Amino acid sequence: MRKMQKAGARAKAQGSHGAVQSGSMAGDQQKGEGLGLAGAHRIPLQERKATERRSSKAADTSDMSFEELLELQSRGGPKACKQLAGRSAPKQSPRQPVCVADKHRPLEMSAKVRVPFLRQVVPISKKVARDPRFDDLSGEYNPEIFDKTYQFLNDIRAKEKVLVKKQLKKRRSGEEREKLQQLLRRMEQQETAQQERKQQQEQRLALKQERRALAQQGHRPYFLKKSEQRQLALAEKFKELKRSKKLESFLSRKRRRNAGKDRKHLPLSN
Amino acid sequence: MSGTSPLDPAPSFHSLTPRKTEEEEEEELEETPQEKKLRLAKLYLEQLRQQEEEKAEAREFEEDQVAGRLKEDVLEQRGRLQKSVAKEIQAPAPTDIRVLRGHQLSITCLVITPDDLAIFSAAKDCTIIKWSVETGRKLRVIPRAKKGTQGQPSGHSSHILCMAISSDGKYLASGDRSKLILIWEAQSCQHLYTFTGHRDAVSGLAFRRGTHQLYSTSHDRSVKVWNAAENSYVETLFGHQDAVAALDALSRECCVTAGGRDGTVRVWKIPEESQLVFYGHQGSIDCIHLINEEHMVSGADDGSVALWGLSKKRPLALQREAHGLHGEPGLEQPYWVSSVAALLNTDLVATGSHNACVRLWQCGEGFRQLDPLCDIPLVGFINSLKFSSAGDFLVAGVGQEHRLGRWWRIKEARNSVCIIPLRRAPAAPVAGS
Repeated sequence: MRKMQKAGARAKAQGSHGAVQSGSMAGDQQKGEGLGLAGAHRIPLQERKATERRSSKAADTSDMSFEELLELQSRGGPKACKQLAGRSAPKQSPRQPVCVADKHRPLEMSAKVRVPFLRQVVPISKKVARDPRFDDLSGEYNPEIFDKTYQFLNDIRAKEKVLVKKQLKKRRSGEEREKLQQLLRRMEQQETAQQERKQQQEQRLALKQERRALAQQGHRPYFLKKSEQRQLALAEKFKELKRSKKLESFLSRKRRRNAGKDRKHLPLSN
Repeated sequence: MSGTSPLDPAPSFHSLTPRKTEEEEEEELEETPQEKKLRLAKLYLEQLRQQEEEKAEAREFEEDQVAGRLKEDVLEQRGRLQKSVAKEIQAPAPTDIRVLRGHQLSITCLVITPDDLAIFSAAKDCTIIKWSVETGRKLRVIPRAKKGTQGQPSGHSSHILCMAISSDGKYLASGDRSKLILIWEAQSCQHLYTFTGHRDAVSGLAFRRGTHQLYSTSHDRSVKVWNAAENSYVETLFGHQDAVAALDALSRECCVTAGGRDGTVRVWKIPEESQLVFYGHQGSIDCIHLINEEHMVSGADDGSVALWGLSKKRPLALQREAHGLHGEPGLEQPYWVSSVAALLNTDLVATGSHNACVRLWQCGEGFRQLDPLCDIPLVGFINSLKFSSAGDFLVAGVGQEHRLGRWWRIKEARNSVCIIPLRRAPAAPVAGS
């Protein structure tokens, strides 16, 4: 049993069609230019199209200029003539975009594309993993709103702290005790950090309200400089230390650290 | 004087004369499908003209005949020739149905020879029997071949799923589950060729009318084109996404396939190497038949029967549960439609299932409606239905099991070929007072 050569090697025909198209830079307007029409000889586009439609399959040589004819000859073949003179509408490729008016027509596709063995019977959507920390959908982080909405977590944290303390009481020594101690320390530090944040927020709020009151009275709003803010914070800190009687130890530690730092800047004495 | 005579072509044109020979060679160059159609149409017109002139008739009468025939052919080509036959059909009496018994297992497929004189039937026992329509006797039997025989098999060794006969009655093609297509000479039932190439069971076969071109499809999802007279393979087409269940073709170089679980019906335009995709059934599309060049009817295993037109991707008419429901109350399932057939260029459609009847339908105006006409009682799985070319009778291949498997077995049924005569009532007189 032998394999027959199919009558109509479409590839060849398409190839020649493509070659002519590329040569004349696909498009009717540019076709004129590609054919080397001299400026004076340029036939208006509508007229040219009309003549193309009216002409028979064989090339209508009466309309063409000498340059066009030379081009024809160089391209060669009746195929080239047909492209130029005969068909106005190229053969429709099976893969045409479907316009809305044709949406009731059956889909036309190529019959030579091999179909993969597995096909999707049920549409499966891939699960997209979202990180709420970096996702736009989570919105911007606003600490005040965050604290307000997640207030209930403070109770849970307190309960957990109590639990950890209980556990600590049970275990007197060993690795587990150390771990628990670390955990407890962490929790306490988190708590203090939260308290600090809260205090700062309150301060900022107070300042804001002051400013608003002044502005209402008629004064211009005054914004503190960074140095002034630091001074205020320092003053607050001193007050707090004095209240808790840790001022002396804090100051001595500060002096020691500063001394060490200053020693670095002194010239090296050999 | 070296003056050029007025008859000589101008020097700028003289090199164009070789183009004339090129134009002659144009015919040898590859043609586009439209040009090929044009050339073939012209040939056909010439043939018609010659035929008519040979007859010893008056010239005017001859021209009328030619015009009439041409008109009919044009309508047939465009799929608009439709003779309203369905209204005149009368349901035959059960005693008129001739039952031809001879197969041992369920009949899977059958074909009628174009001259309506013989019927070929194939069954699950891997035999093919040629019956005579007039006498009802077996003319020939192609027995089962043993598996693993050396050389060319002169028979099938697995279930024969499909058969086709060429329109001149010369070649018979049969395809089976062992991926083979066997070509037989219809008259003598001599085995001629074997076509191998399919990678799974061959499920559909059809000859193109007026030619020896054979289209085949298989459970390997491909459609292959062969030439039976020249014993050659032409090409393969792809597109289906699941095993193909059936195939049919008329005189265009087009075939239509029923896609089974794929859920699509595809029309394959072979010269353009493209396919049209239609969808609309919910179940597995098991059978399909062309009514004319532009319309087809298909049946699915959810009991639905659909009429299709080539310009619309959804069915023109859809009849759900065409053969009713069966099962326990609350768990009812529709009867699977196991075969469909249509009388060429008319509006008569027949469908078969296993609810003990063959149902005849009438297609409405423009194939937009499907109305039931009558039922012909026939017990068993109607695995195959075929109308004769003149529309005189309908042949049904009946089995105890479905042609593709053994889901059910109807013990009361007989594995047989049933010839159902279709009588046409004369036109009813206009009702007077």
